[in-house]
Amino acid sequence: MSIKVVIKRNTYFDSVSLMSLSTKANQIEGVEQAIIGMGTEMNKGVIRNVGLMTSEVEEATAGDLMIIVKTANAEQTESAYLAVEELLTNKNSAQAKSDIKYATIDSAVQGIPDANFAVISVNGAFAVREARKALENNLHVMLFSDNVSVEDEVELKTLAHEKGLLMMGPDCGTAIIGNTGLCFANAVRKGSIGIVAASGTGSQEVSVRIHDFGGGITQLIGTGGRDLSKEVGGIMMLDGIKALDADEATKVIVLVSKPPEASVEKKVLAQIKECSKPVVVYFIGGNEEAVVAAGGQFAKTSKEAALKAVLLAGIDEASINKRALNLPLIEEVRAKLSPEQKYIRGLFCGGTLCDESMYLAMEKFYNVYSNIQKNPDFLLKDISVSQEHTFIDFGDDDFTNGKPHPMIDPSSRIERFLQEAKDPSVGVIVMDFVLGFGSHEDPVGVMLPAIMEAKQLAEKEGRHLEIIGYVLGTDLDTPNIDEQVKKLVDAGVTHASSSTNAGLLAREMVLKGENHE
Amino acid sequence: MIHAISGDGYFLQQIGASGFTGMVHSVFTHALNIQSEANGEIFTLATKAMDNAPNTLIIDLDTLGNLHIHQHDRVSVQHDQLLIEDKVQIAMQTATRWQCQLPIFPTDQTCLKTNVVTVKQFINLHGKSGGMKRSNSSISEFEAETSRLLQQRTSLLREELMNQRFDHFQSYAIDLVGLGPGLTPSGDDFLVGLFAIIHLENSPCYIYKQLCESAINMMKPLTNAISYTTLKKAANGQVRESICSLIYSILYGTEADSIQALRKVLAIGSSSGTDIALGLISGLEANIKLGG
Repeated sequence: MSIKVVIKRNTYFDSVSLMSLSTKANQIEGVEQAIIGMGTEMNKGVIRNVGLMTSEVEEATAGDLMIIVKTANAEQTESAYLAVEELLTNKNSAQAKSDIKYATIDSAVQGIPDANFAVISVNGAFAVREARKALENNLHVMLFSDNVSVEDEVELKTLAHEKGLLMMGPDCGTAIIGNTGLCFANAVRKGSIGIVAASGTGSQEVSVRIHDFGGGITQLIGTGGRDLSKEVGGIMMLDGIKALDADEATKVIVLVSKPPEASVEKKVLAQIKECSKPVVVYFIGGNEEAVVAAGGQFAKTSKEAALKAVLLAGIDEASINKRALNLPLIEEVRAKLSPEQKYIRGLFCGGTLCDESMYLAMEKFYNVYSNIQKNPDFLLKDISVSQEHTFIDFGDDDFTNGKPHPMIDPSSRIERFLQEAKDPSVGVIVMDFVLGFGSHEDPVGVMLPAIMEAKQLAEKEGRHLEIIGYVLGTDLDTPNIDEQVKKLVDAGVTHASSSTNAGLLAREMVLKGENHE
Repeated sequence: MIHAISGDGYFLQQIGASGFTGMVHSVFTHALNIQSEANGEIFTLATKAMDNAPNTLIIDLDTLGNLHIHQHDRVSVQHDQLLIEDKVQIAMQTATRWQCQLPIFPTDQTCLKTNVVTVKQFINLHGKSGGMKRSNSSISEFEAETSRLLQQRTSLLREELMNQRFDHFQSYAIDLVGLGPGLTPSGDDFLVGLFAIIHLENSPCYIYKQLCESAINMMKPLTNAISYTTLKKAANGQVRESICSLIYSILYGTEADSIQALRKVLAIGSSSGTDIALGLISGLEANIKLGG
């Protein structure tokens, strides 16, 4: 063992820098342990407890920065210490540039004259003012904030349209611009497929499936959920299609949305006709004939949309693992469920993932309830109580009012999951776990205790409870998707390989012969 | 010429009194600290990105990174302007006065009880580990030992409060000072949160107020000057604006208000915000247990 200690007198780094330096220093090759911290008596006591005390450490005072590097031998220690020194030097020179927080759009524009893009996430009361300011400064805008009136949305989008800028949002939670994920997005490879989406998790799912099938993304342009309403008229989706049509790197365009308002759908289809590139249209519950008549490629599911897009982009079909549905497993689960266990309960963080599973269930069952059902007859009367087949979007305003999105704060869903697991009429519970930028650091991990409790309870009561989990993410995402999937499988959860497969598995597992209720 | 936006009343008073001089103690991107020549006290100049705080002056800049200010640069006051060598002139007339005003502990604790649970749950999910909050990932021996001592010593302090004992309160608090590798060690941050709660008038823990104020002198040699200043101010019921807002929201606001205010506190430093918030929660839980 070899230890090197350097004490830097009266040297101060802010806590964030110290933490990041310490993390990086511990990752240097050969380093068994690196400590970078202030030389307080208490810290020296800890160093003594872990057997690293030296005379230099003993002399450090509370205002001194201690750097302690432990490796296997003196040679390694010296080179590791040099690497730590380099980190410190780089931190010092980079700090001034990288950590600047601008208090206003105007000062940010002055400070970064080359900037051309603003991501805005402020209280809805101020969002319009800030977005307008950004557009007036010729910045493309992604507006994460919601609680913006339709009138203001139209005004902002009209201004952006006139200036040739993107106005993504309000309530736009997902985009990938220039290979950089913004807000909630996944790490996907660069490629030749562009996406315009009025749906956050829907576009995340399509981008992730494209990546899984070997394709890649040029840009993912979010529009905000209201863009295809009659009032807004699809301003951003139409401009998004034009932008991708003009983009040399984009060879194929995919549109993702819930079904647009009829007059807006006409405009979008007319734009598709004008488009020089193949366009795949995934409008959940949409009309195939109209899309085909406009020259578009219709996709009924997110998986189909991704598959069509990668094939159009020239990916060799033989190289694609299409992740077929596990039919023997369906039979196996059907045999385990009792006649009383007739219902699916879908508990989703992602609105479009919820929609997709729900629409797949609606193809077979008439009694499908939800807090986001379009048909008022099947809207849940009380969102805290499930009826028959129920699909809950925990990202809907009813659940997020004053609370973080369930992708960040899973507590509401955990509570509801345990409630559903106790219901003897439930055969299958299906859930999504979203990875990537902006999401929870361990979405499966926080759910595990509840999953185990539910499984034990069902077992005690002599029931088989089938839990299906879908992890939305790629091999490039953090946390590691394989580890997340392994946690699920180890807990006895059936892993679905896509949102589409999750919906199909749930639906097929509870089918009782001809009795489709 | 740079304009001052707002300033802590005490700092404004010091500048207003003729003859304030000092040296630059330390420089960061968003804050620089000045050590007063008169009494060694630390004062802070902070950019617009920061909130109001004791001994702090907020100035109309986004970054201090391009001012070329260095440790030991001389600071003085002339004609209502704060000067750093000949590099920076700050006009003081534009500064509005800010004063930390902690809320009074409520007689009706309905909001408090609900909000404490919500806030604690949010910290468990989203707080930054590495300080008071245990890390789930693999950590070094040093981090593990620091974490163990933080848990052990904060537990002792909490028990002292929960049982309304006084004998070891000061020694348990002192045992936390300087514990943690950051610029403001986690133990110090935890105490900042706890001391703020102890200073809530009409609260059961208010009886510890004198002990906080008298323990602070023993803490001075145990931590660096920057952290000590924050600790000393907290021991006298003075904390930054975002902490005041969080306390107010928990005592009187909705769950949504509390989470919104909590987010601002969690954004302080690396794990500092989380450590401060956990100190607040410990104090509030003691108040609830002792019956308000």
